[in-house]
Amino acid sequence: MAELSFNEDHGYLEGLVRGMKAGILTDTDYHNLAQCDTLDDMKLHLQSTDYGRMLSTSEEDLTVSLVDSKLRENLVTEFSCLRSNALPPLSTFLDYITYSYMIDNVVMLITGALKQRDVAEVLPRCHPLGAFDQMAAVGIARTPTELYSAILVDTPLAQFFQEAVSEDNLDEMEAEILRNKLFKAYLESFHSFCKSLGGATRDTMCPVLEFEADRRAFIITVNSFGTDLSGVDRSVLYPSCGKLYPEGLQLLTRAEDHEQVKAVAECYPGYKIIFDDPEPESGCKTLEDRFFEQEVKLNTLAFLQQFHFGVFYSYIKLKEQESRNIVWIAECVTQRQKSKIHNYIPIFK
Amino acid sequence: MVFRSEEMCLAQLFLQSGSEYDCISELGELGLVEFRDLNPSVSSFQRRFVSEIKRCEEMERILGYLLREIQKTRIAVPDEDESPLAPPPRQVLEIMEQLQRLEMELSEVARNKEKLQRNLLELTEYTHMLKITRTFIHSRSRHEALGPQYEEFPTMETDSVTGCTGMQRLGAKLGFVSGLIQRVKVEAFERMLWRVCKGYTILSYAEVDENLTDLDTGEISKSVVFLISFWGDQIGLKVQKICDCYHCHLYPHPENDEERADVLDSLRTRIQDLNNVLHRTEEYLRQVLQKASESAYSWVVQVKKMKAIYHILNLCSFDVTNKCLIAEVWCPVSDLANLRGALEEGARKGDATVPSFVNRIPSTDTPPTLLRTNKFTSGFQSIVEAYGVGDYREVSPAPYTIITFPFLFAVMFGDLGHGIVMSLFALWMVLTEKQQKKKRSSNEIWETFFSGRYIILMMGIFSIYTGLIYNDCFSKSLNIFGSAWSVKAMFTNQQWTNKTLQTNSLLTLDPNVSGVFTGPYPFGIDPIWNLAVNRLSFLNSYKMKMSVVIGVIHMSFGVVLSVFNHLHFRQKFNVYLLFLPELLFLLCLFGYLVFMILYKWLAFGARDSSQAPSILIHFINMFVMQGKDLAPLFPGQTGLQIFLIVIAMLSVPVMLLGKPLYLYWLYRGGKGLRRRRGYERVRRVSEDDTSAAPSYEDEDEEEGLDETPGREPLPKEFDFGDVLLYQSIHTIEFCLGCISNTASYLRLWALSLAHAQLSEVLWGMVMRLGLRITTRVGVVFLVPVFGLFAALTVSILLVMEGLSAFLHALRLHWVEFQNKFYHGTGVKFLPFDFSLLPSVFEQDGLL
Repeated sequence: MAELSFNEDHGYLEGLVRGMKAGILTDTDYHNLAQCDTLDDMKLHLQSTDYGRMLSTSEEDLTVSLVDSKLRENLVTEFSCLRSNALPPLSTFLDYITYSYMIDNVVMLITGALKQRDVAEVLPRCHPLGAFDQMAAVGIARTPTELYSAILVDTPLAQFFQEAVSEDNLDEMEAEILRNKLFKAYLESFHSFCKSLGGATRDTMCPVLEFEADRRAFIITVNSFGTDLSGVDRSVLYPSCGKLYPEGLQLLTRAEDHEQVKAVAECYPGYKIIFDDPEPESGCKTLEDRFFEQEVKLNTLAFLQQFHFGVFYSYIKLKEQESRNIVWIAECVTQRQKSKIHNYIPIFK
Repeated sequence: MVFRSEEMCLAQLFLQSGSEYDCISELGELGLVEFRDLNPSVSSFQRRFVSEIKRCEEMERILGYLLREIQKTRIAVPDEDESPLAPPPRQVLEIMEQLQRLEMELSEVARNKEKLQRNLLELTEYTHMLKITRTFIHSRSRHEALGPQYEEFPTMETDSVTGCTGMQRLGAKLGFVSGLIQRVKVEAFERMLWRVCKGYTILSYAEVDENLTDLDTGEISKSVVFLISFWGDQIGLKVQKICDCYHCHLYPHPENDEERADVLDSLRTRIQDLNNVLHRTEEYLRQVLQKASESAYSWVVQVKKMKAIYHILNLCSFDVTNKCLIAEVWCPVSDLANLRGALEEGARKGDATVPSFVNRIPSTDTPPTLLRTNKFTSGFQSIVEAYGVGDYREVSPAPYTIITFPFLFAVMFGDLGHGIVMSLFALWMVLTEKQQKKKRSSNEIWETFFSGRYIILMMGIFSIYTGLIYNDCFSKSLNIFGSAWSVKAMFTNQQWTNKTLQTNSLLTLDPNVSGVFTGPYPFGIDPIWNLAVNRLSFLNSYKMKMSVVIGVIHMSFGVVLSVFNHLHFRQKFNVYLLFLPELLFLLCLFGYLVFMILYKWLAFGARDSSQAPSILIHFINMFVMQGKDLAPLFPGQTGLQIFLIVIAMLSVPVMLLGKPLYLYWLYRGGKGLRRRRGYERVRRVSEDDTSAAPSYEDEDEEEGLDETPGREPLPKEFDFGDVLLYQSIHTIEFCLGCISNTASYLRLWALSLAHAQLSEVLWGMVMRLGLRITTRVGVVFLVPVFGLFAALTVSILLVMEGLSAFLHALRLHWVEFQNKFYHGTGVKFLPFDFSLLPSVFEQDGLL
């Protein structure tokens, strides 16, 4: 029944986002970009796409970081256009998207403060989608409790802090653990929010979020090898909304090396292909890249259905991937690494 | 007026290197030819003139910056009537240099100005802070108990206040931080301060009366001055950090009142100085921009033209020796001489030793369609093209549309008064078109009306004509020639007496009584019908029959036009196998209907009107072959009807099978009789060709051959099933279409009826109210009533009804008329013309 009145509130934005999706670079665009010899060539080619005159208005010389920041700016402009026109519950949904960037920003600021970096130096590197007022004050906090009670209690992140509150002093390890705890709470909350929305939103968003949760579980496990993080410590960080929950997560808790993680993934057909041995011709794709590839596949599926919010999440994620692709190609172009240029992840083949 | 699109030819231009730029520039000014892309496989950044295009883009960027700055200072950019020519390549660097110098100068001045403004803002903020914090200090020192501060700062916590006073009592050293913060952030700021410092601070704040501009975002916002008193260095550090986090502007807090007064004094003088300098900077900036704005327009046009020329040059290919550029163009045959002239002119300007020249090459591609228009015909042409651009050399419906479109519109919109209002409006637009064009209005609705001004004028004039025929003027009739009916004759013939008048409310004039009806009204409908109660049934019968007559004529005309297509494309068999059966089918059935209508009008007069048969019944009986019991309209009717039906029915199988069978026969054996089937087949071949880049060797060999498509297309695989299917669809569409289209023309009647009734209702409901009242009151009362009447007439009857009649006339042309002969699958000829190029800056609203 929600479909009947969906267009009344969200039809415009859905149309908008589907229109913007049509502007996502195609295979031929990537092919042409990969042929470029200089950044100026890339700029010329990007002009014929939806990015238009994005790069041509700046006076400075083109650098990869400039391209990156322009792409990010572009994404933020599009997102803020969507957000400012959104009505609840879509507005809540869009806010949820920004929370993940907020968490990353908070952790980045904490690590920055630990390394005695000036806040003004770290702030520009924060993702603008996750910007909030109290950001600059994050460095004041010494313990997660202090962080929560003094600074973040007013922000939307406060709701994810229930489990993360501890009196330990913040060090780099602790910050990383904090990030994972926050993410766990965030993903679970987002998952249950999407579930409560029901309908097509649940059908499209839940698989994506479950995948995200499982990816985090895998990455945490793989990254914890060689650190003093024990299996039990790890298990606290696993988000419990994924497909791995509960058996897979228990197995991961016990995993000691990469082979054992792979054995866990064997049980899940969706993750088996990610951990499969890379074929010789596909080059050296990292685990991360393979996860990204899988994520892109999942996100493109969202556009097959109508009357749901998944398209917004997927669009932002796909656009982010596109930015990563362009930056990758730009890096390869400037560093003359033509052989690696094809390692981007094409969207909408 | 052209009946077909212009004859086109494909030509190769050999542009000598050195003069190619001038040649293209010359061609762009004239807008003669359409260029074809000769290297479609080369991506845009690998083409020859990329660096030049990049330079143009750089100039565009600077120009954009310049125009934005000019717009910011509200200086108008003067338009020039004649657009400057594209600058010769050697002059480009000069312009480039000029632009760069200007940009440097401007950005420096702008930077300076911003620095000054920032400075000024800081000083003003400081002043405000000093003024306001003084009141804090004073109020505090006056009231030691701090009682009144509750009223002043109701949000302050009791804890903090008592804590502070406690500390004050202890004589601890207090630290002060003072500054400005944006109004919206104050609450969050205060809360965080409280949380982090556990209440060991006092925050007092007050709003600044003046609105200050944030220079980074350009927003004007309210600010708040605050003063934080704290105790201890640790807390001081935290406070500092929180202030940073909320982007507070902090200023040193003076120790005592004297220092405060000193600082305030020095600030005042500095602000004054800064204002002076800022004023001068602005003046200078304005001067620079003023100077730039004078030549900005010509720069914009020059850069636009230059960029376009390089884009065109990118479409050309180089010959083997790299001595000259080869371009391929579509050009109207009649313009070839102009084209040669333009190339000579270009070569002269470019000081080339070898002239550039044109070479016509044969081609099997379908040329683009060019129909030349003037300001009168362009509106009608665009009506036709909204349906589809005509095939190359196809009969164009536009010349006939000029008459039929306003006419069909007027049939639906027949009212003398409305027609006059409409044509006066259109006439005003036509007479003032030069001024209107200069204004360049951005109102889309107005633009639509304005570009259709000649259509509206024609529609208005035709409405006057049909209004006279209908004898309708704002729903009233005009008695110009004197009615041919006489009431007096009824009395003189003793039919009526005074008693009949008193007893009957309705009376019928009998035309059979001598003297009552003296013959038809000279022009249009007799005005006496306006008084008659049975007016509607009289007009309905008349208008319905008229619609059918007009419709059948219009459709037959469309079918006849298809002959010219068949003959021109040398498909003579189509005349016999397609056109003749179509025409016979249409005329035998619906032509006969028209004949019956006209016959009945002529054959039956007032005297024998009671015996007049119903055409509808006769027409139906014609199909079911019955009705022997009915009196025939004319002798031999049954025989004729059967004959007509048989012909119509026979023409259907001819239409259905004739063409496929003939083509099949041609394909199987009739090789000797084979003729070109014209462009239809040629196009199918060409579509395959264009996907691959045209190869020159091929065409060079054929240069000596015939100019027109000389190469016989390769024998195509002939699919009988395909042709038969296509033909059967066409046949079914035509036969059913004849019936439904004829019925469709009844919309003429329906809309004309609706229009007449609506205007009558408007008169009856509004105007009559005003006319009924006694003279004295009525004079005053009529003014608003007439206003209402006029407003409703314009908005409902003219605009709304006019639009609906326009829409229906459009439909009758697109569907009922054009599907009889018009394919409309062509490609429009888009010449390379500077005047048609859009400017980036116009889109952004900078010019």
